[in-house]
Amino acid sequence: MRFLLRRSALLLAALFGMSVLIFIALRVLPGDVASVMAGLNATPARVAALRQELGLNRSYLQQYVDWSGNVIHGNLGVSVLTGRDVGAQILSRVQITFPLILLGLFLACLFGIPLGCASILAPHAGVRQGLHMLALVGGALPALWGAMLFIMLFAKGSGLIKIFPSQGFPDEGWKQPVSACASLVLPALTVGIIVGASIMRYTRSALQEMLASEFVDMGMACGMTRVQAVLRIGLRIVSPQLVSVIGMTFAEMITGVMVIENLFALPGIGSMLVTDVGNRDLLTVQSELFVLAAFFLCIGFAVDVVHRILDPRLKGAALLASAEGMQ
Amino acid sequence: MAENLRSGDAQGTSTETTGSIHDERQTSEQSADLPGSTDDSLNSYQKRHRSTPPWVWIVAVIAAVAIAAGGVFAYRHANSSSSVAETSQSISIGLKLAPTNLDIRNEAGAALDQVLIGNVYEGLVARNSENAVVPALAKSWTISKDAKTYTFTLHAGERFSNGDALDSKDVVWSLNSLIDNDYVNAQALANVESVSADGTTTVVLKLKAPDAALLWNLTGRAGLVLDEEAHYDAKTQAIGSGPYLVDSFKQNESLTLKANPRYWGSHQAKTHTVVLRYITDDNAAINALKSNNVQVLAPITANLSSSVSNDGDVVVKAGNDTDKFVLAFNSTGPKTADKRVRQAIRYAIDNKALISSRGGADELLGGPIPSLDPGYEDLTKLYPFNQNKAKELLSEAGYSTSKPLKLDFEYANIYGTEIGDQLRSQLKAVGIDLNVKVVEFSAWLNDVYTNKNYDLSLVDHNESHDFNAWANPEYYFNYDNKQVQELYAKAVSSTSDAAYESYLKQAARLVSEDAPADWLFNYRVTTAYRKSVTGFPLNLNQSLLPLWNVQNKA
Repeated sequence: MRFLLRRSALLLAALFGMSVLIFIALRVLPGDVASVMAGLNATPARVAALRQELGLNRSYLQQYVDWSGNVIHGNLGVSVLTGRDVGAQILSRVQITFPLILLGLFLACLFGIPLGCASILAPHAGVRQGLHMLALVGGALPALWGAMLFIMLFAKGSGLIKIFPSQGFPDEGWKQPVSACASLVLPALTVGIIVGASIMRYTRSALQEMLASEFVDMGMACGMTRVQAVLRIGLRIVSPQLVSVIGMTFAEMITGVMVIENLFALPGIGSMLVTDVGNRDLLTVQSELFVLAAFFLCIGFAVDVVHRILDPRLKGAALLASAEGMQ
Repeated sequence: MAENLRSGDAQGTSTETTGSIHDERQTSEQSADLPGSTDDSLNSYQKRHRSTPPWVWIVAVIAAVAIAAGGVFAYRHANSSSSVAETSQSISIGLKLAPTNLDIRNEAGAALDQVLIGNVYEGLVARNSENAVVPALAKSWTISKDAKTYTFTLHAGERFSNGDALDSKDVVWSLNSLIDNDYVNAQALANVESVSADGTTTVVLKLKAPDAALLWNLTGRAGLVLDEEAHYDAKTQAIGSGPYLVDSFKQNESLTLKANPRYWGSHQAKTHTVVLRYITDDNAAINALKSNNVQVLAPITANLSSSVSNDGDVVVKAGNDTDKFVLAFNSTGPKTADKRVRQAIRYAIDNKALISSRGGADELLGGPIPSLDPGYEDLTKLYPFNQNKAKELLSEAGYSTSKPLKLDFEYANIYGTEIGDQLRSQLKAVGIDLNVKVVEFSAWLNDVYTNKNYDLSLVDHNESHDFNAWANPEYYFNYDNKQVQELYAKAVSSTSDAAYESYLKQAARLVSEDAPADWLFNYRVTTAYRKSVTGFPLNLNQSLLPLWNVQNKA
């Protein structure tokens, strides 16, 4: 309980810090939304009038207080450019980004963890080396490249084997579950390969240390083979670390899938952020980034809690150290 | 077996993010006991107690891959994406630049004119594919002798898509509210003294002075007629009198238009549903066309068009447009105020090479007026590609290899990085060091457009009839030439087309000689479409995209 309180206080402080940071960072950008709206033939008078109308002339402190007050009340504001509710906008985009990440991460674990184990435990040196190379290549593969490769192989219309759509998302979204899923397959595979490679490398190095540890020796002393001992005991011991890594990877992917969303023309969070920053729709970007940051911090929070559940040996001091390590 | 299990590679392979967690977890494990829960499993292990044969591993690996692959092939029989248009009842068109919102009164940008004017909103008059003025809501008009009174006659029985009648009162209100509220493009009506209705089908515009550009200006936003009684959210909806109505608008994604059942005129929509998809990535756009997610792509990058033109089902054609890629030289900049420097840059640029590297569809342009606009003449002979002349002029201006000319070149990232690289290497050959900065459009607006703080800048000025920028010393070009301003004033106030064109011609020649910019090329839009598609406009389709005649007969 004390742990939860402490960890929550830390979370709140981090959220506040984040909001200030986001606000200041965006004010450094040159240009503003009024000139973007007014375009290339606007008179300075018109731009000035727009600025006044949009409340861009208020002091920064005033703007921050207004915005953060609204956010605390759960109101993320309305975009001055699109006239749409920012919260609704984020929700509609998350419906695409989130499943994409989950599917990608699922594929990544499916590839990464078993292959990571195999790259340590496979009895033939050649297989081990080959798998290790695979992990390195997968990790070094640029997202753009991977995506193009999958499009050339499996895309409807232009691929060798025409199976999956490679462009966009069905108009009715998740009301057409089959085509919605289908349009996420190629992007998720791309994500899965790249992230899977890093999970694979991580599993590999974690288990490598296990190989030499006394836990495995102990298991072998009890009559297991080395492989059994590593999988049965070693994997269990490193599982909290794996969970942390997967959790943090998940959070990172929210922004990491931007390139992929762009390539597959998926209207997700990534393309939304790029556009809104480009248009200097600052109020909207603020809210969007804040939601993402909050999500990121909450993942960290959840990972710590799960960690504790998985590993009851963690106590106060070690826990705080790990909590600071996570931030 | 135990010993050779260790492959000898370093342990530095864990990713950056995991490093910290990894290290501190190690320390706590050193002192930890075995988890008690393994005891049970150990007992069960003792019963079996045999080593795993090697093939198990190979099978495990294959299984992991197979499961993943199985997941992939499970979708093999999945339905195709719904966005594919199968019938002639709908068509999908891929475009590039998306409007931020639909507010035709407050939101600037050609992306909005392109899709709404002529489709959803209609003007008093319209433009045809040759850029000439043709009737629209007004079936005819007369111009008084002194060219100060324009009388428009509307068709009888016009109405908006919500059923409201459209008559002269709506026209008067639309034009007046544009002027009074200084909405986008209000300056086009700067010469208008009054707008009044005479009965329900006649509208009279009185001018302060003759304005030869007025009629053409009315084909754009200035002449649109909106419904005063309609109340709707202009950012997400649009209510006009055109053959289409807005069904849904998803920002940066798509705009869906449906035929207007109450349409009054002769341009009845031939296709019930038109989906305009906004695809910014060129490769993604090509894939969308190949997979039939869109049946038309406008524009398609000329360089990439070869990948679809081999397809027998796809037609690739270039159309004319009024886009001018203007490389502006700040006429009051510290170095570019020197005319010799500006002339040297014009001589140093190899426009033909720029065009061929882009796929060769674009045309040479030697001055501020493109071939589709009144006042055009071929000015490409004024500054032909000549590196020796460029070097001479630079040394006259006091620059040499020991004292090279350094210039900043800032432009928006929508035009890609290649053009900056090419210009840098072309100018390097005559001893000019170009420092290229590719920035976001909003940053460009701030630095160049608003603060006029630049040496060189690049913009695709796509508007037609936009010579006035060169007669406006306040514009970001900082170009202030009294003679040009006088000629332009004479052109605008001339009462015959011939006089209008000849004044513009003279002014354009003067501007080009002064070298306040280099007109890199006149962009010609390349469109790719499936053979089953008919009626898609090729000319001017980036500024105006009339859709009523488009059909997909697949």
